[in-house]
Amino acid sequence: MNPEIVGPGCPRGIPGHVEMPLAVERLPNGNTLIADAGDEAGFGSEIVEVDPVGNIVWDYNEGLRFAHSGRRLRNGNTLITDTSNNRLIEVTPVKKIVISSDEWGGGIGKLSDGSHLHYPNEAFELEDGTFLVTDRNNDRCIQVDRKGHVIWLYDKEIKHPHNADPLPNGNILISDSDGNRILEVNRKKEIVWSYGDGSPKTLWWPRSAIRLENGNTLITDSKNHRIIEVSPDGKTIWKFQTEHVDKFYITHVTKEGTFLIACTDGHHQVIEIDRTGNIVWLFRNYRRPAPVYARLTNGFFKELEENGIPKYWVLATRLSEGGGRLIWDEDNKPYPCPGLEYDRPGALFLQQNIAAKVGETYRLGAEIKTIDVKGAACLHIDFYDDFGGSLYRDITEMPSGEYFTGTNDWTHEIFEVKVPPKSTFAQLRLAINHSGKVFIRNIMMNKI
Amino acid sequence: MAIDKEISEKRKRQCSKLVEISKEIVREALEKFKPEELGITWTGGKDSTLTLWIIRQVCQEKEIPLPKTMIIGEGDEFEEIEEFVERIKKEWNVPLEVCRNEDVLKAANYTLNAVVKVKELSERNRAELQRIGFDDDEFPFEAESYAGNHLMKTVVFNQFLERNKIKGIFQGLRWDEHPARFDDPYFEFKASGNLVPEHTRIRPILHFTEKDLWDTYASLKIPYCRLYERGYRSLGAKTTSQISMEGVPAWKQDIENTEERAGRRQDKEKAMERMRKLGYM
Repeated sequence: MNPEIVGPGCPRGIPGHVEMPLAVERLPNGNTLIADAGDEAGFGSEIVEVDPVGNIVWDYNEGLRFAHSGRRLRNGNTLITDTSNNRLIEVTPVKKIVISSDEWGGGIGKLSDGSHLHYPNEAFELEDGTFLVTDRNNDRCIQVDRKGHVIWLYDKEIKHPHNADPLPNGNILISDSDGNRILEVNRKKEIVWSYGDGSPKTLWWPRSAIRLENGNTLITDSKNHRIIEVSPDGKTIWKFQTEHVDKFYITHVTKEGTFLIACTDGHHQVIEIDRTGNIVWLFRNYRRPAPVYARLTNGFFKELEENGIPKYWVLATRLSEGGGRLIWDEDNKPYPCPGLEYDRPGALFLQQNIAAKVGETYRLGAEIKTIDVKGAACLHIDFYDDFGGSLYRDITEMPSGEYFTGTNDWTHEIFEVKVPPKSTFAQLRLAINHSGKVFIRNIMMNKI
Repeated sequence: MAIDKEISEKRKRQCSKLVEISKEIVREALEKFKPEELGITWTGGKDSTLTLWIIRQVCQEKEIPLPKTMIIGEGDEFEEIEEFVERIKKEWNVPLEVCRNEDVLKAANYTLNAVVKVKELSERNRAELQRIGFDDDEFPFEAESYAGNHLMKTVVFNQFLERNKIKGIFQGLRWDEHPARFDDPYFEFKASGNLVPEHTRIRPILHFTEKDLWDTYASLKIPYCRLYERGYRSLGAKTTSQISMEGVPAWKQDIENTEERAGRRQDKEKAMERMRKLGYM
C-alpha cells in the first residue's frame, strides 16, 4: 500500500544543501563561509563558501559528521571542527587534509596532556598560528599548537561551552552554555567580566559572544531566541528577535558592522541584519529530506526498509554524538518491535512527519518498554512552523507522554495534543537520551 | 456528607462566582439547543459530578428535567463509583443511560485482559479501529489501552450522540487538568466526520482549577465519591487508577504543586532536567 504523502521529501546528503548552519563568517573577499551540521539522519554535513549572489564556490564534506565550525585561516586553508568525529582538521583549498587531530600523539589523537578532543564545537586561529578550541564535552577551552601541544586551557566551572572568542587584548570570551553565562577570562584564568546569573531568564543556552568595537558584547542567547547587546556594566542596550522561535547559534560581525547569524535546525538559513533589525542578506537553500504523511503510517512497524529501518520512519542520529542504534525485540508477539539503544549524553530518535491542522486535537497512544534508561525516554511530538523550525524553545516543552527512566515493562501511553497556532506539520518521535534501551509498539493517532 | 475543609466566607463568595459563570454557560446552551437535543457525560468522578450538579441547578431554576445523561460502562469499574452513581441517580432523578460497547465486551467474554480478536468484532468496531491506525489482529481487553480506550469510550460516546440525536453535549473538562486543554473553548463545534456525528461540546467548568473545585464541593456541600477520601485524585478504570497519597484526601494533598493525573511512576522532573540538558532541542 502506498502511503498518502502531503509534502514530499528530497534526497539526503546532496552537496551544497545547507540543512543546519551552525557557524558563519564573512570572508575578506565578500563571500560567506558556512558550517552546515547536516540533516536529522546524519547526512550532508559540510563547509560551504557562498558568494554574495548565492553561488556555492567551494565546499568540503569528506567524512564530516555534525561539523560545527569552519574558519578560514590566514594561509587560505580552512580549519574545521568535525564534532561527532571528535576531531579538528585543516584542509587546503584543493581539499587535502594537512592537519588532523587524529594524527596527534603518534596517531591516536592524544593531546600533550593525555586527553582527546571530545565533541569540539569551535576553533579559531590565534595571532601566533595556534588554535583556540572549544572542547565541549570536556567542559573546557584549550589553546593547542598545530601538533597537539596544549599551551593554555580554561576549565573552571564551565559546562558544555560552545564558543571561545579571542579578544585583541589577549583575553578570551567564553560561552558557558549550560551555565547560562558569558565569561571574559584573562590568561591568568581570572574572570574579568561576566554576564548572566545562571537563570534562563537572563541567558538560556548562550552559544556565542563577540566583543564589538564600541566595547559592548553581542550575545547569541539561543534558547531565548534573541541576540542581545550588553554594555560593560551589564545593561541590555539592543535586541534582535524574529516572530519565530529562532535558535540562533553563532553571530559574526562584518566589517560594515552588520551581523551574520546562523539560524540553525529551526530555520536552516543564514541571515545578515543591520542595526535596524532589517534582513539585508539571506542564504537558504534548504529542502526537507523527510516526507510529511497524511496520517500516522506504519505505526505497527509491520513494513521494513531493506536496511532494516521501519518503513516511513527516520532514524535521526544527528544529535547522537556518534553513538546508538536501532534494535529489535525479536521475541515480541506477534512480530518483532523496534527500539533504540543508546550509550552517551546526546539523544537518538525514531521519528515520522505527519500532517496536522491547527486547532485540532489528536489523541496519541503506544506501548513503551524501557531497560536501564539513565536519562529519559519518551514518545513526544514536535510541531514545525512554515520555515521548518520547531515551535518550542526547548525539548521538554513539547507535548509528550510519560518520561521513563530505569526499567519498565510494557506500559500503555495515551496523551492528547492540540495542534498549536503557526504549525504546519507534526513530528512524532520516540526519544532516548543518556543511555539505555527503549522499545515501542502499536503507535496510534487519531483526531478527536 | 460534605467534605471536611474549612472555607472562609470570602472564599465561599469566590466559589459561588465560579459556579455562576458555569451556570451562564449552561443557560446559554439551553438557549442554543432544545432540552431534548442536549446530553450530559458523567463518570461519577469529581469533574463530571460538579458539572451535573450545576446543570441540575439551572434546570431546577427553569423547571425543566435534566437532559439525558450517559455513563460509560468499561467493564472495569470501582464498586465505590457504582454505588455513588446509583445513589445520586435516585436522589437527583438523573435520566441515566449506561452505555457499553457490548460487541467488544462479548468478544472479550466479559473478562479483563482477555484477547479480543479483531475479526470477531462488528463492522462498525472494525472501521473504528482502522480510523485510529490500529493495525493488528487482536488486542487485550483493557479500557486504558489505546484501542480499548477508543472502542470503550470514544465510540460509545459517538453512538450515544447518534442514537439520541444529540446536538450539544456537556463535558466536565477543566483547563488545568491537561496541557492539551489550555485553550479549549466553552463551546466547541465539531463538524461531522467519518463515524462522528456533528455536535457541539459544552464545557461549563473549564475555568475551575482542582483547588477551586474542592473548595466548591466543601462550600456548597456537594456529594462526592468517597474514593477521593482515600487519596485518589483522578479516577479512571479500577485497575489503572492509582492512589496519589495513601489515606490523604484529594483536597488535602499539595494539589497546586503536584500532578493530578495520578500515580506517576517516574521522577519526571529529574528526567526532564536530563532531557533539557540536550541543548539543541
